[in-house]
Amino acid sequence: MSRDAKFLELIEITTKFDTLTALDKVSLTVAKGEVVCIIGPSGCGKSTLLRTVNWLAPPNAGTVRLEGQSVGQAPERRQTGRGIRALNTFRARMGMVFQQFNTWPHLTALENVTRAQVVVLGRSAAEAAERARAALCDVGLADKIDDWPEMLSGGQKQRLAIARALAMDPSLMLLDEPTSALDPELVSGVLAVLKSLAEKGMTMLIVTHELGFAAQVADRVVFMEAGRIVEEGPTSQDLHAPKTERLKDFLAKLTATQMPSAMAQKVVAHDPI
Amino acid sequence: MGLELSIFIDYGPRILVGFWLTIKIVVLAIAIGLPLGVFLALARRSRLALLRFAATAFIEVFRNTPFIIQVFLIYYVLPFYGLRLPAEQVGVLALAAFGSAYFAEVIRGGIEAMPAGQLESAHAIGMSETQAMRYVVLPQAVGVILPPLTNQMLSLIKESAILSTITVQEMTMTALRIQGETFRPFEAFIMIALLYWLLNEVVAIGMRRLERGLTRKTPRSTTLKVEGGR
Ligand SMILES: Nc1ncnc2c1ncn2[C@@H]1O[C@H](COP(=O)(O)OP(=O)(O)O)[C@@H](O)[C@H]1O
Ligand SMILES: [Mg+2]
Repeated sequence: MSRDAKFLELIEITTKFDTLTALDKVSLTVAKGEVVCIIGPSGCGKSTLLRTVNWLAPPNAGTVRLEGQSVGQAPERRQTGRGIRALNTFRARMGMVFQQFNTWPHLTALENVTRAQVVVLGRSAAEAAERARAALCDVGLADKIDDWPEMLSGGQKQRLAIARALAMDPSLMLLDEPTSALDPELVSGVLAVLKSLAEKGMTMLIVTHELGFAAQVADRVVFMEAGRIVEEGPTSQDLHAPKTERLKDFLAKLTATQMPSAMAQKVVAHDPI
Repeated sequence: MGLELSIFIDYGPRILVGFWLTIKIVVLAIAIGLPLGVFLALARRSRLALLRFAATAFIEVFRNTPFIIQVFLIYYVLPFYGLRLPAEQVGVLALAAFGSAYFAEVIRGGIEAMPAGQLESAHAIGMSETQAMRYVVLPQAVGVILPPLTNQMLSLIKESAILSTITVQEMTMTALRIQGETFRPFEAFIMIALLYWLLNEVVAIGMRRLERGLTRKTPRSTTLKVEGGR
């Protein structure tokens, strides 16, 4: 039980870029199956926090644990071959989705989803293809299997990126503003996929500005500002009855500029595809 | 001064023998220099400071000194350390080292031209540095790398003429000899100029074919475009 409660732990993470403190002793614990949305103004450290989880952005101090095992501990001693291999194993268990999709343009949709399964997990080509088809089906791209990413819309590219991550059968998904680079009409399709993932019990850490989506899907909302977690609590409380003035201000500003919120509510209700 | 056609006929076969050696030397130098260049390019991005430093030093030395001096140094200095190699082998090694430094820079440039998100997404999914390069970055970078790489190969072919200074009996050396024997420099050098040109054209055409073959698969040949974010 407590193992599930402390599925992912970030402990006192401090990250500095030269003189700038991007993260200032940030601690966060995520339970298994929990969906946590991270919100906060641009530059407050959301992406850095997410990139700390899989050690893409190694912090200056702090520890990350997944199911009690250390993913990374800073300041890290020199990374040995074994250390790097262990880290890669952890990374394979954490699916990451980027704002800019980062689909691989030299590979077809299917190859995008099979490549890492074969190379990283050592699955056979046939096994990987089968898993990839299922993942592509889950994100509504069953008919795009042989397409090049170039031919897909932004929303489809992002769903391809999600399928690529899902096919690794990760125990955790990290999503960094997955809909921010999308044209408004393409947002809903991606959110629908994420919602169905949440319903299947996937543990997710999502940086998002889609409040309507967060309200529906998140168990908890974390509000960050200037490298710190300012407020953290159950979604209903955070979004509807914020305790701090700062979160109140932030939500007010966001809702004022954000007409998609209402739209997201409406469309998220649909099934994927 | 009229052309003495008989020179072409009488000395042509000797020139062809030299040409054959030039081809062998150049092919070997590229066969060694290209993998070495890939290694140097990756070593420059290594986590290990020592490896990074060694690779950078190697590249800088070979890029910033005249090739003829490199050849002399290797040819005259190695024997002091008990390593006495035939001139041809010294020539291949020198040419490979010289070429690899330039190849490495071209390859590094291609890798760095790729959007950072490509490497990052490969790492995020659990690929090692080598896997990320091999399966994600380099296949996309080839379109950017091949044209300048071809140029470097062509200059390597031309630089091979320098090996005549250490008695390698390649094409330029042969022409110099013939010129000494016949006192007809024009005929001797026009022959080899044409053959260098021919060799370079063949390499250039081959590389263009390769480039088309490798990049035809994808809809956009050079995938320099950053994904998404309109
Ligand atoms: N690689 C980096 N080098 C230098 N500064 C960085 C780097 N990554 C992020 N930063 C800085 O750290 C701060 C937090 O960035 P980020 O985590 O991307 O914020 P957010 O995702 O909340 O917009 C910003 O001020 C940003 O400029
Ligand atoms: Mg960000």
